[in-house]
Amino acid sequence: MVLLTRRYHFSAGHRLESPHLTAAENALVYGVCHRPHGHNYYVEVTVEGTPDPVTGMAADVGALDEIVERELISRVDHRDLETTVPELSGVITTGESLARAFWGLLAPRLPALTRVAVVETAKNRFEYCGEGDAPV
Amino acid sequence: MTAGRPISYSTRAFTFSAGHRYYVGEWAAEENRRVFGNLTVSHGHNYSLEVTVRGTIDARTGMVMDLGELKRIVGELVVSRFDHADLNADPLFVGKVPTTENIAVTIWGLLAPKLGTDRLWRVRVWEDPTLYVDYFGR
Repeated sequence: MVLLTRRYHFSAGHRLESPHLTAAENALVYGVCHRPHGHNYYVEVTVEGTPDPVTGMAADVGALDEIVERELISRVDHRDLETTVPELSGVITTGESLARAFWGLLAPRLPALTRVAVVETAKNRFEYCGEGDAPV
Repeated sequence: MTAGRPISYSTRAFTFSAGHRYYVGEWAAEENRRVFGNLTVSHGHNYSLEVTVRGTIDARTGMVMDLGELKRIVGELVVSRFDHADLNADPLFVGKVPTTENIAVTIWGLLAPKLGTDRLWRVRVWEDPTLYVDYFGR
């Protein structure tokens, strides 16, 4: 069994704002992240599989690209994550929550999905692996 | 894991540039093109390899493993063999397509006898900055 990871990119605007907090509390809790801003995001999608004895491939990377592009990247690239992505309605767009929401978009199409990582900046990385623990 | 003897993981990175193509000899050229597309054409990559070893930290040296020794072993067994080589021509890939998956598994096979499967934890092969494969020997 191998884990194959493909790295994708999108750029999007967002701000951190919780409906459960007042404006003053939001400003206090999230600080500068409360202001509308954006990131060059990277998303790593990991699938597990066993290399086919003939083709040597554990996953069809072309098919993976197509699915991730359609189900995820086309929905979030150059969008405002709060207001123009219906699939993220109600999601506070922290890296943690985005990773989980992206898992929700991809998992129905990718039975072998084992991890979604959202790299918000070069300093921030968030991973979600479904209900179970992280793969080895 | 024994209490007081935590396991640590150390990783060393390597690079090698190699040529390959996806081609199954038993198939007609047309079938190869249908399945693999332009990957059937000979091309190459600047591969990155990350080798991770695990173990307890030696009380005397403070190290899990001398990464200089790891560098020597991986250099001798993997980098010198694959750097600026045609992977399809290597006996290790006879009858086997040198996909990133198979390269990771093959490198594990080269390193495990020398490093031991207790110590070797993960082989990660980056084909390019957008694609990598992990193999844990299982």
